[in-house]
Order: sequence, then C-alpha cells, then structure tokens
Amino acid sequence: MHQVVCKIKQASRSVALSGAFALVAYTAVLSQGLQAQQVSEADVQAALKRCGQCHGPTLQMSKLDLSTREGMLKGGEKGPAIVPGDAEASPLYRRISGLQAPVMPMPPVPALNAQEVELVKNWINQGAKMAAVATPAASATPAAGATSAYPGGYTPREITDADRSWWAFKKPVRNTPPTVRDAKWGHNPIDAFVANMREQKGLEGAPEADRRTLIRRAYMDLIGLLPPEAEVDAFVKDPAPDAYAKLVDKLLASPNYGERWGRNWLDVVRYADSSGFEFDITVENAWRYRDYVIKAFNEDKPYNQFIIEQLAGDELDKPTPDSLIATTYYRVGPRVRFREANYPSYRYDYMDDMVRTTFQGFQGLSVNCARCHDHKFDPITRLDYFKTVSAFWSYVDYDQPLVPKDQVDAYNAKLKALADEMTPLRQEIARIEKPYQEKRREQQVQDALKKFPPDIQEAIKTAPEKRTEGQKLLVAQVIIGGPDIDPDNVVADANSSAKAKAAAKANEVFGAGPENYGRGPLKLNPEDEKKRAALQAKIAAIEERLPAPLPTADGVRDGDYRLTPDGLGDSHIPGTGRPDYGIKCCFIPAVGTKFEVPPLYFAANSDDIKINASTFPVQPGFLTVLTDPKNPPPTTHVPNRTDYVTSGRRRALAEAIASADNPLTARVMVNRIWAWHFGTGIVSTPGNFGKMGTLPSHPELLDWLATEFVQKGWSVKAMHRIIMNSETYKMASAFSREADLKADPTNVYLWRFPPHRAEAEIIRDITLDASGKLNRQFGGEPFFPAIPASLRADQPRGVWELTKEEPSTWRRGVYAYIKRGLKYPMFEVFDEPDLNVTCERRATSTVPTQALTLMNNEFTLKQAGYFADRVWQTAGSNPEKQVTQMYHIALSRDPSPSEMRANLEFLKKQTDAAAAKNAAGDSAARSALNDLAHVTLNLNEFVYIK
Amino acid sequence: MFNKLNERSRKEQYISRRKFWMEAGMGIGGLALLDLMSQDKLLGAECVAGGKIDSPLSPKPTHFKPRAKSVISLFMSGGVSHMDTFDYKPALEKYNRMPMEGHGDIKVRQGYPGPLMKSPFSFKQYGQSGAWVSELFPNIATIVDDLAFMHSCQGTSNDHVISHYEWNTGSIQMGFPSVGSWVTYGLGSENQNLPGFVVVLDQKGGPYAGPPNWQNGFLPAAYQGTVFRSKGDPILDLSAPGQYMTPEQQRARLDQMDLLNASFDEQYPGMSELSARISSYELAYRMQGCAPEAVDLSSESDETKQLYGINDPACASYGKQCLLARRLVERGVRFVQLMSGAYVSIEDTWDAHADIVANHTKHAREVDKPITGLITDLKRRGLLDSTAVMWHSEFGRMPISQRGMGRDHNPGAMTIFMAGAGIQGGQSIGASDEVGYKAADQKLTNHDVHATLLHLLGMDHKRMTYYFNGRNMRLTDVSGELIPQIVGNIQAKA
Repeated sequence: MHQVVCKIKQASRSVALSGAFALVAYTAVLSQGLQAQQVSEADVQAALKRCGQCHGPTLQMSKLDLSTREGMLKGGEKGPAIVPGDAEASPLYRRISGLQAPVMPMPPVPALNAQEVELVKNWINQGAKMAAVATPAASATPAAGATSAYPGGYTPREITDADRSWWAFKKPVRNTPPTVRDAKWGHNPIDAFVANMREQKGLEGAPEADRRTLIRRAYMDLIGLLPPEAEVDAFVKDPAPDAYAKLVDKLLASPNYGERWGRNWLDVVRYADSSGFEFDITVENAWRYRDYVIKAFNEDKPYNQFIIEQLAGDELDKPTPDSLIATTYYRVGPRVRFREANYPSYRYDYMDDMVRTTFQGFQGLSVNCARCHDHKFDPITRLDYFKTVSAFWSYVDYDQPLVPKDQVDAYNAKLKALADEMTPLRQEIARIEKPYQEKRREQQVQDALKKFPPDIQEAIKTAPEKRTEGQKLLVAQVIIGGPDIDPDNVVADANSSAKAKAAAKANEVFGAGPENYGRGPLKLNPEDEKKRAALQAKIAAIEERLPAPLPTADGVRDGDYRLTPDGLGDSHIPGTGRPDYGIKCCFIPAVGTKFEVPPLYFAANSDDIKINASTFPVQPGFLTVLTDPKNPPPTTHVPNRTDYVTSGRRRALAEAIASADNPLTARVMVNRIWAWHFGTGIVSTPGNFGKMGTLPSHPELLDWLATEFVQKGWSVKAMHRIIMNSETYKMASAFSREADLKADPTNVYLWRFPPHRAEAEIIRDITLDASGKLNRQFGGEPFFPAIPASLRADQPRGVWELTKEEPSTWRRGVYAYIKRGLKYPMFEVFDEPDLNVTCERRATSTVPTQALTLMNNEFTLKQAGYFADRVWQTAGSNPEKQVTQMYHIALSRDPSPSEMRANLEFLKKQTDAAAAKNAAGDSAARSALNDLAHVTLNLNEFVYIK
Repeated sequence: MFNKLNERSRKEQYISRRKFWMEAGMGIGGLALLDLMSQDKLLGAECVAGGKIDSPLSPKPTHFKPRAKSVISLFMSGGVSHMDTFDYKPALEKYNRMPMEGHGDIKVRQGYPGPLMKSPFSFKQYGQSGAWVSELFPNIATIVDDLAFMHSCQGTSNDHVISHYEWNTGSIQMGFPSVGSWVTYGLGSENQNLPGFVVVLDQKGGPYAGPPNWQNGFLPAAYQGTVFRSKGDPILDLSAPGQYMTPEQQRARLDQMDLLNASFDEQYPGMSELSARISSYELAYRMQGCAPEAVDLSSESDETKQLYGINDPACASYGKQCLLARRLVERGVRFVQLMSGAYVSIEDTWDAHADIVANHTKHAREVDKPITGLITDLKRRGLLDSTAVMWHSEFGRMPISQRGMGRDHNPGAMTIFMAGAGIQGGQSIGASDEVGYKAADQKLTNHDVHATLLHLLGMDHKRMTYYFNGRNMRLTDVSGELIPQIVGNIQAKA
C-alpha cells in the first residue's frame, strides 16, 4: 500500500539521500575538536534529562526508564539501553547519535547537540557510572504548598454548577406545544410555538402565500433552482389538499436537493479545493468529499452517522468507501503543505483548525478560544482545549484506497513485480553514470571559481584544513554535494518516472532551489548515452505495463506524524528543521504492532517547545462542562477489527458529539437547518451557543425541534418536512401591518416569511436555469469558471485552468473549483464566505461591484442572450407573450397589468432604438427582448427567495 | 399584488432615482444631469464630490480627531534587505565573511547558513537628520527629513506568504481581513463613486500570497480591496464587452430595472437592503464614469510625470502606480496599496536569494524615484499632512550570506518608514542588533504598527471590533502598542 500512500508526500528519494549526506558531513565538522575528556555525572544527567519525558519515572514508553542506571541496564521492550564500556554497542548512544533508527529523542523533545552526544558516548565508554537518584515517587509529587494539580502552576478555572446551568448545556426539554387562539396555528407544533410567541408580543401572522410564491420558494430553498413553468401550472391547478406536501416530498427526492443543501454544509466545514498559503496546492480528491456530502443529504444519512463518518470514518468496525472519503473533512482546511517538517508549529495550527471547525461546527462552541488561556466567557479551560487536541493528535494525512484490500494487494504486488524488473536496469544506469557524477562534482568547483567573486574563489582554493571558519561556511554554501549513489544499492520504484515528472512539474512551480544544485540530468559520451538510452527504453517499456492508479480518498488515519515521509520542499539541512530520523519504515503502524500515540504536551504551540517542568503530556478527553464527572464518556473506542491499527480516539470524540445525550449537537443542527430555511436561526449565531452568542428567540421551539430530530433518527429530511409543511413557513413575505413592523421591525418573531437574497452560487445557478443552459452534470471533478487571464496573474501559484463561457463551465456553482488564493469574482462579491474558518452564516452585503458583475460580466450578458432566445422560441415575436413567458420562467408568476404595460413600452422603445441603428426585420425586436432578459436577471425579485 | 405602478405617472416613475440622487447630495439638478450625461462626459469634479448615500462605505465617525484621512501603503513584496538600504551596519564590514556568533540560533529558509556579509552598497548620511541611506536610493535620500524610519520591526515567520498575511492582515493565519479592509470598515470612504480600498499591482502580476493580501476575510464583502488593473478597464467588469450592450442600452436597462424594482420594493416596507440594492446599481453606474477618470493620467503635466519618473522606462511603471495613488487619495479613496514585486518568478520580487546586488539594484531603481516623487507631490499639494504613507515589506534579510552573494529571509529585523500624517520627519526609531539579525531596541510588531496606523486615522485599535464566530475581533488581536515617536503628543479623546 506504500505506493498509494506516497502520492501525497511526493518524497524525492534523491533529495532525502543528499540531505542525509549533507547532514553527516556537517556533523563531522561540528565534532572536530571534541576530545574524549573525562565526563561528569551531573553533565550526563543534565543531557539525558529530556529523555525522561517519555522514558522516566512518570511515563515509560516502550517500558523503558532512563532515569536510573538500573533502568538503563534493565532496558525496555527492545532490550538494555546501555552496554557500559561500549558506546557503539549501546542503543542509547546509537539512537541519540543517529546511528540507529528511530533517532531519539523524538519531537517535541529537542535533539541532543553534538557536544551532548559526545558526552554520553564518553560517559558510556568510561563505564556509565551514576549514583542512585531520587525515587520516582518523590519526583512525581508536586512541591509542597503547590496549589496546582498540574506542573508549572497551571490551575484550570473551576467548572461550577452555575456554569453547567447555562441554557445550552442543559439537555433540551420537550415541552407540549402550547394551545393557541387560532386553530390554524394549532396543527403543527412549530406553528403553535411561533404563534404563541407572536401572541405574547402582540403580533399577527401573515396569511398563506399564493401558490406561485410557494412553489418558487420551495424550489429555490430546497433545490436552488427555478420551478419549471409546467410544474408551476400543475401545482397552481392541483386541487388536492396535500398538493404542497407532495411538492415538498418530490423536491426532497430530487438529486438537486443534495447539491443545494450539501453546499450549506460545505460552508460549515470551510471547504475548498486548494490548500492556500504560498503554493495553494490542490487537494486532489477533495471533490469526492464534496460529492459525499451531496450524497449524504440526498440519502438522508442520519446526522449522527454523518458526524461519526467525517470525524472517524476510518475507525469504524466496518468502514465503507464513503466513510473513508468522509474523513477528507480533515484535509480541506487551510494547510501550508510545503516544508512542513521544517516548521513544527504548523501541525499545531492545523489542530487548532480541527478544534475550531469541529466545535463551532457541530457544537456551537468556540473551544478554540481556549488555546492560550481558559475561555474568557464560556466554561472551557485551556486543559479542555488540549484534551480536545489530544483526541485529534493521532491522525496523519493518508490516502485511503477506495477498493477492497485484495485489489490493493494485487495492485501493489504488480507494482513490486515491475519494480523488480526495473531494478537491475536502474543499477546498470547508475553504474554508467557514476564516473560522470564524480566528474561533475569536480566541474562544479571549476564553475564556482568562475562565477563567484574573488573572496569566495579564494575560500574555495584554500586547502580545506587551512580555511577559516567563515571560509568553511562559504565553501559549504557554494559547493553543495550531489547524490552519492552506490549502484549496487539502487532499488527501483515502479512509479519513479511518474514521480520524476511530478517533481519536474513541481519544480516549474517551486523553482529549482539551491538544494537541487548539481542534480540535473547528466551528459554522457555518445557511447554511454546510447547504452543508457537503451536501458531507459527498457524501463519505459515496463512502465507501459503499469496498472492504472487506484482511486483514493484524501483521508486520514492514525499514525506517527513525526515519521511522516518527506513532503514538498522538506529539507534536512542543519538548522532548518526537525532532525532526520533516518527511518525507512512507513509512518503508519503495521497490523500486529502496538501503536503509541505521540505525546502531546500541554500549552505546546510547536514541537520546538522546551519540554520542562512547566508542561506535561495531555490525554484525550471531552469538554469538562459537557461531561458527567461520575460517568465520563470513553476517550477511545478502538474498532472491533484486527486488520487496522488505530487508537480509537477520534471515534470516541465523534461518538461523544453524536450522542443523543449531548445537549448541543441536535440543537445546533436543527438551528442551522432553520437558519438555512428562514435566513436567520432561532439562535442567530449558529456557530456560537455560548455567552457570546445570542439567546434563542424561541427557546421552547428549538428544544422541541432538537428532541424531534433525535426521535426521528436524526433525519434531516424529516426536519425539512415538518418545517416546510408548517403554516409559519408558508406565510406570505409580501405582507406587512404597520403595528407589526413597528413592534418587530426585523421580524424576529416571524409575522411574515422573511425574504432573503439567494447565495452567490444560487444566483448563478438560477441564471443558467432561466437561460435554459444549465449543465446538469452531477458530481465529479470540479470545473473552472471563466475568469480573465489578468485576474489569474494576481495569484500565479496553484491551479486555475483558464476556460471560456461555454457549456462545460455552466455547471452548478457547487461544482466550481474553490481556490483559497483566488476566489471566483462573481462568488466573492456576492458574499462567498471566508474559506478558512467555519462559516456560521453568510453575510448579505450590497455593493456596487455586485451590480457591475451582473450588469457587465460576460456570464450574465451571455445568459441573458440565451434567455431571450429561449423566450423568442416559444413566444415568437408577440411582445405580450414574450413578457408573460419571461415572467413565468424567471419569477414564476404573471406580470401585473402595470408591469406588462411598462415592459411593453420598454420593448417598443428599445426596438425603435435598435431599429434606428439596424433596420433588419426581427433583429431589432430580438435586441429589445435581450434588453428585457438582462433586466429581468438583475431584478431584486429574481435573486430573492420571497 | 400591492403594485401601484399603474397609478404612477411617467415622472413619478423616477422617484426612487430622484430619492437616490437627493441622498447622494446631488439634488434635483442631479436628475437633469443624469438624463443628460453619458459616462464619457462625466467631469472629474463630479467624481470627487463625495456622496452621502447610505452604503456600507459611507463615512463613519472616528473615535477621536484624526491626523490623517487616507493611507498609501507602498509594499515591497519578497523581503527588502534592511542592511543594504536604510539600516547601516558598519559592524558587518568588520566581521565580513566571519561566522555569525552570539546572536542566537541561526534559522535559514534555504540552503546552508553562510558567514556574515557586508553590504555591497555604499552608505552615506543625508539631510538635517543625518539618516544613513545606501546608494540604492539616491532619490529617497533627498527627502529623509520627511521620513520616520523604524529599524526594529520584527515578524514571526520566515515564510513569504505567512509574513505577507502577518503585515497585510494582522494574522499569520490565512483568511483574516486585510488592513485596508479594516480601515474602510471602520471609517468608510469619502467618495462613494470609487472603491474605498484600492490595490494597484506590479504590472507583471500579483505579489506573494495574491488576493488574500487585500481580502475582506470575515468582514462583509463591501470591504474587500478592489484591484485597479493596469490594462483595459481599471476595475473588473467596469464595462461590458462591446458586442453585448451599448452604453445607451445599459442606461435604458438600468432605468427599466429601477422601475420594476421599485414596485417590488413597495411590497416590503422596512427592508432597506432592497433599496440598497437599487442604489448599488446607480453607484456602479457612477463608478463606470469615475474610475476611468481617476486612472486617466493624461491631464497631469509633464513636470508632474517627470517628478514620478514616468519618463524613465526603468521606473515608469511604479511611477504610474504612485501618481495614481495621489489621484485616488485626492478623490477621497481611503486606502491605497501599491505593490512592488510580482511573484511570477522570485527575481521579479525583492527576494534576493541568489544575488543581492543584481536583485536590489533593479527593484530599488524601479521604486526610488516614484516614491520620492509621490511624497514630494503630496507635500507640495498640501495632501501629505492628511495622508499616512508607509513603506514596508514582509521581512528583512539575513546579515549572513546565502550561496555567497545572496541573502536569505529574516523576520528578526526589518526597516519600515512612514511619512505624512503630521509624523515628525527625520526620526530614527528603534534599532536592530549590531549585525542586523534581530530587532534590539524598542521591538515593533505588526500589531504595533497597525495600532499606530489606526491611531493616525482617529481610531482606537482596541475599540474597532467586529463580531465573528463568538468573538469581537480586532485588527490587532490582543496586542498592539502605539509607537510614541510616531503618534507624537496627540492624545486620544473620545
């Protein structure tokens, strides 16, 4: 499976090799001058102190305790740590010096420097003498008089009963819907709660909207498209009392429903197709996750299952391709994805992204605010934050194959067989190239002598032993060793040429850095060139037989992030990043091995933290305020299967969230559903149910809906049915009474249906729908909407294919490529959310650039033309029919007599104006119709859900 | 239906438009004008006239009396070497080609840490203040007494893009609102006929990080930066492709939209967003005339153009950017950012990894005269006092060499200078260490600089907040101290 895994981390073997070469050379320089002097025990203990973080009195990973000489001699799971008198034979020395993998200590504990390593070596060689040390018990006990239960004096704020009594932390109570005066509002519990609240406020509800309004509202709201004319007619004429209920059912059964509501969910999970930051790299299979979300809504996947799959789809007892794809949730956030190993703080920021997205998204709590201190407003401690991070801490990015294991095995066996065929050929090439390699290294020096100024030339010319310290650095800078290849040790990788191509492509983007110096293709003499070409041709012939790559999900699984293979740009140049562990094995625990989650330290923001007395490893746990101290939820739930090694931490977290006993989960989701229907939630801050959020306008209704949601098996569609069939939802929006407007100007208590502007994607979708040009291709890889080349130059990095306004780009907005570094302007101006943090609600702002887009952008102008053509085809040259038809398609209603008059007048005026310029028969009238089509697509009514 | 359209006379059909122009401060006269004018006949003066229309960009009251009304940010993308420009380090001559010791861990971005490297450029003192300037900036050297140099600015990352976020948005994370977005959110803009926050890119393309440098983040879309393009229409979609619609057609369509929208609007009393949408079309229409007028440099005198170096091909491009900035500020645009450096290749930015001489000579030449011209011109027109000009970059560079002749990234120290806004010129604030590796005296972070900038604009950075995801967010997060030498003796008062 390794081949599959490696796609994400395009490890360049040559980079790793030369990095290792450089490291050894550099270490050798540093070691000069360190003599085998007599060492003091105190110095050794100081040097080894950091080993005790994981192999000490309080924690004995691999059952190893290095705090005493006895412990070292006794050793751990892998045998004794020291052989007194023989450092070279002592695993302790071998691992701290890099002679044996894995190199110790592991991050976040900092590596020993050269002097310390030398010290330990000498100490072992001199017999490893050490007096008895303080007993473990004594060192584990906090100092007398300490008030904190934790090292470093941290005392989390106390979580009190008062904290637990905040409304959102108490379980929802299912109240009997109140009795209301008007029986019309008594049938659906939603109506009873809403009408009751209105009665208390002295407000009156609007009458039911007319059927044309209702059908347009239902279409726009549920599937984000316009109702076809014939559907409108049939619905208006349908005398059945359940005509509307049937309409709702029909729309819920439409695959377009998932396209619309899945998009809502993508806002919550800060979905984008690229990772942002400098290179804005594509998340290759992000679209599978987008399609998974669409499908989940279409299939009415129970919401609790939906949660568990996204957070822990790989940790289920029986994962499915869908549940594996669901974990792409972790990977569609903002990520640097370049030189990550060199910047150990990044992983902590990614964890913060996971905490923020998960807790604001599913729980309505800003747990992320407690990263640096206890939460300022809500009862969430900094320790809670780190417990939460600890629940995520075990995951690593992993490309999950989406085919059964036997197919994966067969695929890998095939790759291995092909690689074995290639190995001797590659060895032969290496043998041919070797002398040329050596020659090139010589040439490099000659080139440098020509290129660099005199003082550098002088440094190069000076004999190595006579160089000053500065000259040594200079020479190391300008003469960089290429790969030192032993032809006999060359092992072929079946995908190597694909990787080489990928690397070449990456170099186009990244530019060949100095690390690449001296590693270009070698020029050989004609004879050798011929031999090499023949060998390469044979390799190419073998590559022809490569099986097609397996489909994969950009998912996650448990692993040791410290051993993640090199990624793009990762280097092991001294001083730039983490030590090179020299680990050849993969970072994923193999079946049958024990997996230890790397330690997470309290208050850590980076692996660079100094591990000392003020911090401590944190185990996973759920938020204190949501935990019954007598009955805390489990912190791990290991799947019941033997073929997958995982900690079960994420699954435990997911299950604590997806629990019917969790007071927030159902409330937060029903509130989101409500907000997506009505434009505003019952809690108007759907991502914040804490003290900084707003209180629910209808608390009893919210609770009733939450309990109903759970009772109906977490069915989102059941919620749509009950909401959309309520009288509350069916109220007219074009309605107002002076008194109501005065008492409740912003319609908090729902005395009319609140009209709201459609979202960016929907405005584009309905424009295409009106023109008749909507490309209904469902799912699959994203398309690139047309943008001008000049805009592309604003962000030259990452992917954006320049396309034209043509049918392939006229798919629904949900399928458009979302690039963090360059938003599609039409979406951006219409309040596409910030793509980097979970979106609790979209803004509706009104700015002239929106008007410029809909007035002047080629997209709208072109679609207006098609819209006019479409109308012309059915209505012909009759202006009255044209106006009617246009209103039917775009607004689902007849024009009023005055609108008809005004539009006829307009058509006439525009026809005359066009005719004055261009006398040809129909074209003047068609030009006028085009004018009206463009007007219609710009109307407030067109872009509003009313 | 509640449609009253049929009762309206032809004249009354224009009510909403008249209302719009009344609100826009144009009065009835504006109506007549509107009917007469076509976009190309718009006069500059009309574009300068501020509107009073209720829009997200309407001018808003400041917290206290502002020192400046507008900001011009001159951003040098790629990382300018402070030791080779304004932060003279004689110690580097002494220690040239010796290892850097005693200054803490050496963290490089690329390659191997080299020895210290003296500046290949010569330095001299200038002006009354005696500020040191390298030979790279012979023109800026002549105006140092108008500039306040801050030599102790410090960032947190040696990654270009993260540092762009840091200095242009206040956060090292992706997605936060840019400084210009915050400023227009807090203050609105003086001129509704132009965007309040304009970005002008290097003619070759966008800087490192691209649009996130001027995005609105979690602030409403109204506050995003608008890129003024160097070719074609200055603003995306400012005009329709010719084959689709004539200007007359557009005007007719807008009138019809207005008419039909008005009848829809009447059904929703109290919903201001509907009328705002109607107004936005009129504003867009005005922008179609005003933006081309603003970018049209043809009315500028030859003397002015020369002042900005527009006659010199080596610096004509940034010269035009600078002249445009003055015109925009004159017209009431709140925040203008001029990028130098296009990340189409690293050599098109200030990212001098390979050769500091070749890289910085080229880019300094591009901006030296234009920046000098801009500050001189603002001063002589009386605009400098009301404009805060800031010259900055994402980080400084290393005092040690990279591959012998270049310098690597260094967030530890950089120099920023400010001018205008009544700032005392000729100052040298803070200091980096002896070799320029790290800020030493009076360390200044992005938050300090941003807090100070807001202060100059009359805003208290601690009070200018926006509620988002459970927090009242600030440009300066939980930090930011005013830089006393910049804010001078101005006292904050409510």
